[in-house]
Amino acid sequence: MNSTPTDNNDAALERLLNRTDIWRGDSRLFLPQIALDSGYTDINASLVNNGWPTRSLVEVCQKGFQQQELILFAPILAAGTGYIVLLNPPTLPFCQALIQAGINLERVIVVQVGNKADFLASFVELARTESCEVLLAWQQHQTFSYTELRKCSLATNEGAALCVLFRPDSAQQQSSPAVLRISTEIRPTDIQLKILKQKGVLQQRQSEPINLSLPKAWRGLLPYHLLDQTSLDQTLLPGHSSAATAKRKSATVMPIKKRK
Amino acid sequence: MASSRRYYRPGSRLWLALRFSQLPIEVLQLEDTDNKAVVITEKQRVIYANASASTAGVRYGADITTAQLLSNCEAHERNRPKEAQALADLSAQLYQFTPYIETYICQHLPHAGLLLEISTCLKLFSGVRALLGHIIDYLHSTPYTYEYEFAHTAKGAWLLSFQPTDISGEETKTFFCERLKRLPIQLLHDFPDTIDALKKTGFTTLGDITRQIDAQKISSIKKRFGLKFAQAICDIFSIEQDLQQNSLFDKPLTVYKPVEFFSEHIQFDYPISQSDQLHHPIEYLLQNLSQYLRKRQLACQHIEWKLADIYRNNFLLQVYSDSAESHWELLYDLTLIQLDSRELPFEVDSLTLHCRDARLSQNSSQSLTFDNTRKSRAGARSFAITIAKLKARLGDAAIYKLSYRDALLPEISNAAIALNEPCNQDLPDIHKKALRPHWLLPSVALIELRKQGLYWRGQLTLLAGPERIRGNWWNNPTARDYFIAQRHDNVRLWIFLDLHKKTWHVHGIFG
Repeated sequence: MNSTPTDNNDAALERLLNRTDIWRGDSRLFLPQIALDSGYTDINASLVNNGWPTRSLVEVCQKGFQQQELILFAPILAAGTGYIVLLNPPTLPFCQALIQAGINLERVIVVQVGNKADFLASFVELARTESCEVLLAWQQHQTFSYTELRKCSLATNEGAALCVLFRPDSAQQQSSPAVLRISTEIRPTDIQLKILKQKGVLQQRQSEPINLSLPKAWRGLLPYHLLDQTSLDQTLLPGHSSAATAKRKSATVMPIKKRK
Repeated sequence: MASSRRYYRPGSRLWLALRFSQLPIEVLQLEDTDNKAVVITEKQRVIYANASASTAGVRYGADITTAQLLSNCEAHERNRPKEAQALADLSAQLYQFTPYIETYICQHLPHAGLLLEISTCLKLFSGVRALLGHIIDYLHSTPYTYEYEFAHTAKGAWLLSFQPTDISGEETKTFFCERLKRLPIQLLHDFPDTIDALKKTGFTTLGDITRQIDAQKISSIKKRFGLKFAQAICDIFSIEQDLQQNSLFDKPLTVYKPVEFFSEHIQFDYPISQSDQLHHPIEYLLQNLSQYLRKRQLACQHIEWKLADIYRNNFLLQVYSDSAESHWELLYDLTLIQLDSRELPFEVDSLTLHCRDARLSQNSSQSLTFDNTRKSRAGARSFAITIAKLKARLGDAAIYKLSYRDALLPEISNAAIALNEPCNQDLPDIHKKALRPHWLLPSVALIELRKQGLYWRGQLTLLAGPERIRGNWWNNPTARDYFIAQRHDNVRLWIFLDLHKKTWHVHGIFG
């Protein structure tokens, strides 16, 4: 019996819907199965699979010359055993701070690139490498088209790393194939994190902005007239400990999860 | 069987010694050395003086200052690797005449040379004189001065090269022994101390020593002048030491092993103008190279591609790998990275692959633990391949690790090191307790002092500090008071006041 055009269309649609890279509203059928615990309970609660998705592109938009990368990702960097590659960082990472945060310097590799072609080629190579556990890449003066971002996104599917691309705030206006897009902003006492887009969660159901307290030491000395106020949050950076915070667990550390 | 009997027949050997007495100066390829005094030195002592310097009185072993005072000579340092390379090149060429080639380097004089056993090659080259003619023809094409002589032993030929004479090729062992006996003992350069002892005892020629051996056996020489010297005399004259039973065979000859390298090429049927079309031939040649390396248990880090056109224009492409490889995949990727980044200089007619720097691939160490090492080894290898590709694209300097360097100034303590170097992570307590920013600026940025206060891309407010850091007093004394500052957009900066210059600078960013 000859197949009708309707049958053909149904089969084609079925094939299309079976593609893992098609977004299907809040369906979580083809979501990345492995997530890394972020080290922050609030962030985990807002993310599908309770952690940063691996094998997919994560995009973080930051304002201007604000750098909050290491606050966000320090728990992951300190916990793993694979390589951490910093691709095209805006300036030099300071080894003393990394050691203080409990990050093994033997795992940290810095790659500096000159132009966009080198950046894309390096990103693709590193994202595909099995032993690269975390890839943090910074888009600085380059501008990426959707096609180029898609190339990066496809490369992340072939590896096993958590691949994060830091982009300027203005990139929020541009569409992106990233599975997770967030924006961060530093405020007087905390960092505000907004989830702009997340595969598997409808836009209107995205969680409220998350506020991560800044380390106490960053707050500095209070003005004289505020010295008697003790209500300010005393949370320290993950990795730092004090007598006050030792009893209170600021983040639930969970093993790598695999969803069946 | 007949050939092997002839080969091992005692006394049938014929050695040709080629002595290069001016090798130290000739390998340096100096210009106009005939008209000026030139000496070659090693450890501040003269080891070679040319004719002008010798005429002025410079002798072997003289102090370099004395030599310059005597002859106002030009002094050059001896280059032993170049000399060894020259001898290796000569050996490789002389391999066409005989497979038995030994290198001889005199330890106490700057003489070096080659010892060729030619008895098995005489028939092929129609006799001694014809063979010698071929060898001399070749040596004339080299820049080296040489002396040569024949004898029945290698060391004998070497000694006779100091007093060469014309031979017909019909000479016997007795003839050579007689000539050797007439040589002065001063030619035994490898035994300077023994020469003095021999002189005191009244020995003047090698013949005096052989007469002693004939009268009192070799053991007397062994007892008085040592085992090594006795062995050397036996080697020179081919004397059997064990008188109870003569050895059945001569000492086996050392077979020269020429340096092996891989070179293969493909001639195309039509000229190739696009680099994409070279991918398949490159893969084919690299697979052949991989087979060659694996069969010999070798690995290489460097290959050379030679592209040529019909007008004999050549283009060389050097490909270096970070680790020694016997598999072709990484070399293929590295080649394509280089090839894709440039246009073909001409229409390619032939493609040649050279690999001269192969080495044994068994040097890599492996862990003997039985957990997940196999997986981690595979992971480490894949990462090494990725890094090698990135280095080929970005250069070695673009990829680095961080290490703590024991220094007080932050910018000096933050070291970028190569990937194969170990990181120093022993942070002193003084730094462990201090608050440090995650990012350091590559160079400190000057902060403006405005009426409202400090200004760097926005208004700054001091939050905490100071932490005084002083150091580098021996070079450029530095004293700084570090503060944490908050900018108007809430970014925390690490800033300092230079106590000498009284200026404010941004040094790092907390993040």
